[in-house]
Amino acid sequence: MPPQAQQFIDALNATIPLEGYLVVGAIMFAIGAWGALIRRNAVVVFMCIELMINAVNLTLVAFADYLPGARGAGVGYAVLVIAVAAAEVAVGLAIALAVYRTRKTVNVDEVDLMKG
Amino acid sequence: MIVAFAFLAGMTLVSALGVVVSRNVVHSALFMSGSFLGVAGFFVMLNAPALAAFQVLIYVGAVTVVILFGIMFTQRPQVRHFRTILQRQLWPGLFVALGVGAFLAYVLSIEDWAGTEPGNGPREVAALGEILLGVNGSPPIFGLLFEVISVLLLVAVIAAIVISRRKTGEGVDRGVEE
Repeated sequence: MPPQAQQFIDALNATIPLEGYLVVGAIMFAIGAWGALIRRNAVVVFMCIELMINAVNLTLVAFADYLPGARGAGVGYAVLVIAVAAAEVAVGLAIALAVYRTRKTVNVDEVDLMKG
Repeated sequence: MIVAFAFLAGMTLVSALGVVVSRNVVHSALFMSGSFLGVAGFFVMLNAPALAAFQVLIYVGAVTVVILFGIMFTQRPQVRHFRTILQRQLWPGLFVALGVGAFLAYVLSIEDWAGTEPGNGPREVAALGEILLGVNGSPPIFGLLFEVISVLLLVAVIAAIVISRRKTGEGVDRGVEE
């Protein structure tokens, strides 16, 4: 096997640095924040919030795997975050449903009064 | 490793962009589940296979189905023009998001994480369970958090039922005599 090919295979098998995961998490968080800011539909805003939560989870698990001092606590926090996000999406969609019953719309720029 | 990482990163980020820019709400939901699958793949790469299983079960399964139910209850089927799905804050929102993303990526990249080595995560499910319950050397606060989370989930389920329940005599129940 020529040395260039061996070098190439070694480069393919190299471990990913921690910064790779962190940057992917940061970009995903930014995309979610963008969507939550610009979309009108409340259900899509929920989806973008879920994207942001997932980006934070990815960062937590990356730290838990790469930092020796963390001793894996980030994975425990990620489980707790998943549970809180599930509770949030259940209550949030119930609120969207209640808003749709009274206002016949879930566009966030048309629902701007708290009383009916 | 690099091939898997590039594939998962592309899948996650392209699907995340698809959630934001697709005009059909159902397509947004399906893109969202694709993005969650990519994150589950990252969890497998990061030595947390049990968490990847949770991710697939809860996010790709349950949350996607709940959001699809929400779409079915609240959207009228119609094709929308690109203008009508957006608020007026398209460009300020883009600048804010680009600023946040660039700032986070910059700070996280220049920070000196001394001595990082992969493989410290709780690969076995037993280790993950010990962390979750705060026993055997993991931070003991997790035991309290575990209990608080279970109470929170119960409260959230009851709250969802109470908020979304139709009041008696309001609206129409097809096929139900009142």
